Amino acid sequence: MMDNAISLMIAIPLIAAIFAFMNGKFAKYAALIGSLIPLAISLQMFREFDRTTNVMQFVESYDWVPAIGVKYTVGVDGIGLPLILLSTIVTVLVVLYSWGEKKRSNQFFALLLLNEVGVLGVFAALDFFLFYIFWEVVLIPMFFLVGIWGGPRKDYAAIKFFIYTHVASLIMLLSIFALYFSYRTPEGLRTFDMMTLLAATGDSTIFSPMALNLIFFGLLFGFLVKMPAVPFHTWLPDAHVEAPTAGSVLLAALLLKMGGYGLFRIIMPMLPNVSPNYITLMAVVGVVSIVYGAFLALSQKDLKKMVAYSSVSHMGFVLLGAGALSVLSVQGAMFQQFSHGLITCVLFMSAGTIQHTAGTRIISELGGLADRMPQFAVLMMAGFMASLGLPGMSGFVAEVSVLAGSYENLPIYVLITVFGSIAVTAGYHLWAMQKVMFGPILKKYLDLKDPHSYEILSMSILVLLIIYFGVQPATITDIMGVAAEPLVQPFITLAQTGVI
Amino acid sequence: MTLGFGDYLSLMGAESLLTGLVMLMILLGLYLKNKNIQGYLALAGLGIALFLSIGADMTKGPIFFGTIEVDALSQFFKLIFISVSLIVVLAGLTRYKDSPAQDEFYILLLLATIGMMVVASSIDLLTLWIGFELASISTYAMAAFDKEKRNLEAAMKYFIFGSVSSAMMLFGFSILYGLTGSTRIAEVAASSMEMMGPATLVALLFVVAGFGFKMALVPFHMWAPDTYEGSPTIVTAFLAAGSKKMGFVAAFKVIFIALVALRLEWFMAFAVLVAITMTLGNVVAIWQKSVKRMLAYSSVAYAGYIAIAFVVVGAVNNGGFDLGVAQNGIAASLMLILGHAFSKTGAFIAVAVVGYMALREGRNNPDDIEHYAGLGRRAPITAFCMLVFLFSLSGIPPTAGFVGKFLVWGSAMDSGLVWLAVLFALNSALSLYYYLRVIMYMYMKEPAGAKIAEPRGYVLAMVVALVAVFYIGIFPQAFVDFASSAAAVLLH
Repeated sequence: MMDNAISLMIAIPLIAAIFAFMNGKFAKYAALIGSLIPLAISLQMFREFDRTTNVMQFVESYDWVPAIGVKYTVGVDGIGLPLILLSTIVTVLVVLYSWGEKKRSNQFFALLLLNEVGVLGVFAALDFFLFYIFWEVVLIPMFFLVGIWGGPRKDYAAIKFFIYTHVASLIMLLSIFALYFSYRTPEGLRTFDMMTLLAATGDSTIFSPMALNLIFFGLLFGFLVKMPAVPFHTWLPDAHVEAPTAGSVLLAALLLKMGGYGLFRIIMPMLPNVSPNYITLMAVVGVVSIVYGAFLALSQKDLKKMVAYSSVSHMGFVLLGAGALSVLSVQGAMFQQFSHGLITCVLFMSAGTIQHTAGTRIISELGGLADRMPQFAVLMMAGFMASLGLPGMSGFVAEVSVLAGSYENLPIYVLITVFGSIAVTAGYHLWAMQKVMFGPILKKYLDLKDPHSYEILSMSILVLLIIYFGVQPATITDIMGVAAEPLVQPFITLAQTGVI
Repeated sequence: MTLGFGDYLSLMGAESLLTGLVMLMILLGLYLKNKNIQGYLALAGLGIALFLSIGADMTKGPIFFGTIEVDALSQFFKLIFISVSLIVVLAGLTRYKDSPAQDEFYILLLLATIGMMVVASSIDLLTLWIGFELASISTYAMAAFDKEKRNLEAAMKYFIFGSVSSAMMLFGFSILYGLTGSTRIAEVAASSMEMMGPATLVALLFVVAGFGFKMALVPFHMWAPDTYEGSPTIVTAFLAAGSKKMGFVAAFKVIFIALVALRLEWFMAFAVLVAITMTLGNVVAIWQKSVKRMLAYSSVAYAGYIAIAFVVVGAVNNGGFDLGVAQNGIAASLMLILGHAFSKTGAFIAVAVVGYMALREGRNNPDDIEHYAGLGRRAPITAFCMLVFLFSLSGIPPTAGFVGKFLVWGSAMDSGLVWLAVLFALNSALSLYYYLRVIMYMYMKEPAGAKIAEPRGYVLAMVVALVAVFYIGIFPQAFVDFASSAAAVLLH
């Protein structure tokens, strides 16, 4: 069975989605089963994964459209596997959190599953054609989640989200074509195989520096929009604010990770062959995202919008870590992806729960909720602490790894980040927490009580995972380290020979 | 090798069958009281014709004194034409059920299909023109079939523009004949390559203008939105998906075979024409309130996308001849044509369902986007099919439209037309706006009325198109091969 683990993992939610769509009554059960099975498969993969090597594992490859060199190739390594694990965990918990969804529940749960199909495909595809298909498929469920279950400005937000990210994908696609048409296999055939094409970018007889830099720019643009990095982040707050809670969680926890994944899978292997200015660019954009995102979050009145901007800030660490080019920083950036995926779930679930219990998310109109919602308060507090980087939780490990790893190559950037964002980040988290949860309870909130048990349950599982990975990060960082090494190795060699 | 009667029958089996069927249906029409059976006859005939034309031997060479050839190119287009007719007949089974003149609808439809098939197979200017006229005249009548005021206006416009374009084409052909002394396309190409002069250019201009009308390229597109909007919707489906594609196959044959050889820098002019066509089509489509008219303008934009193949071939032709690139470019356009044919037919049939529903509720402007509000709950199957067709048209995987657009992007990049590829990408994103708006109305607005019973024939037609769109999108291999060998025909 494990021979086709990845295909099964992608197919099962798809089949479950069809069942859920057909029958509204059983939709949530179909969704739960259809997301638990992939979780079981991914856990088994994680157990069986060979942690000592960097080769692709669980690889499946079949001819699909041989006329244009397209294969169905999937496989995972230390870059993809943690994100696959993250996707399967988050999907189960989102289904659980949304257990009470009544409005058009058949479509709702089908879309959650369809989203899982898309992201799992992105994280496993090793063929550019396949990769692009899954990359685009992800847009569809999110468009509907925002557009149907969204807030007052859902139409605008859904269309903006779709078109903005679609344009970025198209630019990425054109770059993929430029790679595709520049290279022929030794047999004289064209191929969309990702690893082959990326390896070919090192061959200066195939790609002129000028062409390669342009191609690189197109790809980088596609991923930066998805992450999103400042100044391409403007679609994110709109989508988040209008999206239903489940949509926001999936968007922040999984969809943003696609951009980061592209960074490690596609951008970094090309990095040694393109202009070194790009490394500076990535680091600068990373730092600007961290600092500017934190300040934006500080100034928000809406709790959810604040959380959305905190995502921009936290995803900046991924970019900084990738641009710093040391094993520790790259590994930290990969772990930041995983860790932020868990933490942001708690944050958005908190915002969602407050919205539907108290009826508003405006920070200044809330107060003292902890008095009536003690269990919820603990979980939300834990989430906020994790997000601001409290030691003992996964966010701390990730951000410290990034900062410590980056200090060697980019000391100034690290200093700017530390002085520009750490205090602000702590500030907006604590201030929001203090205003919303603590202090004397406002009269209008006297009859609130803790939210449904399924909401508490899914948030508790997340908090436990955050603490577990904060204490035992090596469970997953070991495979990230193995994957990070070959990405960084060319630069170490270059530095030793004195080129850089 | 002389081919006997048996060979003719096997090569032209589909055409012969359909022609015989038309005769039979005319005869039956005189005697039958209940004419509903005629639709099923047409359906069965088209179904068999589909198999006959797929199974035809493509290696036999020209027949009918070198005027007709059965090759991959002709069969590829026949596949499209017959499938589109088949889907339209399915919809017609409901639309014209119990109507007294329904047999005429099917007869005209079959005649038009035969005309298109003849065009697809012609390798002679005269045969090509005759096929063209057979198809055109039948569709003029179809456009006015419901005999409503707006039908008549649409048909009149279509007829006038159509006859002028036919006349232009014929005039161009006659100059070519005068210059080269032959009507065989290959011979015309060979001779005009030797003696290229101003007269050849004039001929070229007339031929391009003539085909430009049929393909609805800017600036020859004005008739299309009006005609598409005014015709009965299932006829519009046939016009947009079938009749327009006939313009393309004819243009492919004549422009490529006869005129590529001229080695002129005409491709830049064509590139500008293509760029304007797609941008104009999309920009105007955004402002439309009527979904039918919006789809008509999106058809104009699509004409631009498809015509990128001309530019690609021109670019390849202009700088060092690499046949592989040109072949891929044409094959990509053929795939786009295939995807567009199924998606557009389906989309127009969905429009027909909504129009039918709105008319029964006694509303004005049956095609207005307001009637799409909450369609996801009022008519779930129609809405879902429409959703898939719109995603296919906007190039979202895994659909036939995506495969076509994907290949065309690739071919534009391959031939070094990066600016055109980027413009195409931006246009495609722009088009997403108006497609998404319809989807938004269907799924995100509150329903404007009660759930309706979806007419069975329409549903069946849409489901057939839906299956085709997904099948081509997920298993494109066979079709890409087919398109590739069809493209090879043009380049030899």
